[in-house]
Amino acid sequence: MKKILAVFVVGLLTVGMLFAAGSREPQVQAPSLDLQSASWNEIVDAAKAEGQVIFYAWYFPDYFREAAEDFEAEYGIRVNLVIGDQTANFNKVIAEQNRAVGTVDAMVVGGQWVKTTLDLGLFYGPLQNIIPDAEHLAPALWEMQEGVLTNGYLTPLHRNQTGILYDPQRVSNPPQTFTELEAWIDANPRQFGFNDPSRGGSGQSFVHTVIHHVAGGLEQYVGDEEVDPAKVANWNLVWDWFNQRKDKLTFTVSNNDSIVRINDGEMAMTFGWDDNVQDMINRGNIFSRARMYIPEMGAAGGGDTMGILHNAPNPAAAALFIHHLTTVEQQRKKFEMVGAYPARIDIEMEGTLLSEEDRANNALAWFPAPYKDLMISDFVRNVLMQQ
Amino acid sequence: MSAIIETQAGTPLHVRQAKRKKQFYILLTAFFVAVQIIWVGIPIFMAVMWSLVDPANPWSFPDILPQSFSFEPWKFVFRYTNIVRALRTSYTVAPLAVLLSFVLSLPTAYVLGRKRVPGRKFFMLIVLLPIIMPGMVVALFLSRVFAGIGLSQTFFGLVLAHTLMGMPYMVRVLTTSFASIPQDVIDAAENLGAGTWVKIREIFLPMIRPGLLAGMIFAFVTSIEEFNLTFVIGTPTYETIPTILFSFMGYNFIRTNASVVALIMMAPNIVMLFIVERFLKSDYLAASLGKM
Repeated sequence: MKKILAVFVVGLLTVGMLFAAGSREPQVQAPSLDLQSASWNEIVDAAKAEGQVIFYAWYFPDYFREAAEDFEAEYGIRVNLVIGDQTANFNKVIAEQNRAVGTVDAMVVGGQWVKTTLDLGLFYGPLQNIIPDAEHLAPALWEMQEGVLTNGYLTPLHRNQTGILYDPQRVSNPPQTFTELEAWIDANPRQFGFNDPSRGGSGQSFVHTVIHHVAGGLEQYVGDEEVDPAKVANWNLVWDWFNQRKDKLTFTVSNNDSIVRINDGEMAMTFGWDDNVQDMINRGNIFSRARMYIPEMGAAGGGDTMGILHNAPNPAAAALFIHHLTTVEQQRKKFEMVGAYPARIDIEMEGTLLSEEDRANNALAWFPAPYKDLMISDFVRNVLMQQ
Repeated sequence: MSAIIETQAGTPLHVRQAKRKKQFYILLTAFFVAVQIIWVGIPIFMAVMWSLVDPANPWSFPDILPQSFSFEPWKFVFRYTNIVRALRTSYTVAPLAVLLSFVLSLPTAYVLGRKRVPGRKFFMLIVLLPIIMPGMVVALFLSRVFAGIGLSQTFFGLVLAHTLMGMPYMVRVLTTSFASIPQDVIDAAENLGAGTWVKIREIFLPMIRPGLLAGMIFAFVTSIEEFNLTFVIGTPTYETIPTILFSFMGYNFIRTNASVVALIMMAPNIVMLFIVERFLKSDYLAASLGKM
């Protein structure tokens, strides 16, 4: 027994040392090429010289893996792809923000983190004048993401839209107007739910829609860079609306949790993201009979973007990979694999979960970020924390 | 007298007591089995079921069980994630972290368990700090230290980080083990002429072995499940199993794939626990009597 143990320990140490010896040390030299003044051909050459790109995301591992393989085959540049957790991804780059050279080149940016990361100056930019075909990517998303001005620093990856997701076996005539929704909730207690807005965009979108209808429309907030106290003075009506129906609503903990609860039959209707729902259908996490639409009462939409970290070890390769993900071929491939609505505006898609008519008529733009921040904190304080 | 202890039906009292005792044991066993099924059996059963859900026929309300089974979720995880690399890293780092935490914990535990140290309770509390503080907070602060001394993105740095998280368990358990060694056994050994090495080999090591094995289990499982430090300090160079698991949990909760990764993570741990448990049981009595 002792001999076996000794052999095991020695073997373990040997394997450990071999493993340690074989590990690649991260690149520590700061890049020299100025992407702003370089031509695209120079960027491609620099990317090939860098030899690898480190990209972080937290969803669609299947699509990103295949996109990485396509990129490696086309350019001979290795992609180190990490599909992590959204919060952990951002915590990591925040932890590395003061390092001259970090360990991450580029990452997907969701609406929940865009303000924090831009305020911290985590991203290099602007990219709008660097990435080829930038004019074919959703102009609104180049400028603003979920109410936050991004000024061309973040490249559109795909557009997404919230709407009402429901089980057609249990909901025969889903509501279109806000009044119809109120009546449906009253008639079907606990069957409509949405996630805590501090934990996901679909819940934020629902609260946003309620503010739109209860507090006098969203137009009044357009263009504001700070919260105007006079414009939010009547938001107590919004919190009253929720508190009066608290025993008839179901609160979930995340976008995906809402979808899971529809699948499990706990709820019949919720607010959800179209790409999220399609991905869950593709992976067998919700029934394929699920239906989704943007109601006439409106629902907010936006998209996810990608940014290059200001201390990226391989910025040219990062720019090239971002370009690769926004090409027509990759945007189509992403839609076919995971159902994400393209960021490119020069291609048309068929078989989308949400109709083009709904997108054209009922999609809402988010109000400015300061109002969104206030909405989230006030909802938690005035609704979730109330008895 | 016999009339007193017999019932009206004539059944002796000791028979009735034995019967009641048996019923009580059956009830206890049933309760234990029920608790095990609810707390262990059902979650594992659900994880197995979800890991085999056919994406073409999702497991949905009102179906009690999946309508059809498929290995697609398993294929997905092995095709599209770095699970193989993560498995390799996890099961190389964890044993090394256990070994290192044992070596580093031993002197601390000995002093805290056997010596009268001023502020002993304070030190015991300090040792627990890494597991008391939120994981991400520890990770964010430590990442700066690790980056400053060049340990970030290195294999040794990763082992050290996991050691740090395993040490509180190892120190606490070993301290208790050292403290429970009867002083008269040590005195007797000394009277018989035992030197330091003999005492270590014949008394201390055998007597702390159950505690050591328990500490190893805690440290090993902590290392296998550690996410925050690995993610901040290790990725992108190193990924461990929880970094894959977390991509399917939390914000982006995908039950099918999360179940696959959870089962992959769980299976070797269960085997290891059985092995260690067996080792622990067979040696415990002898160890406690110092007859190893």
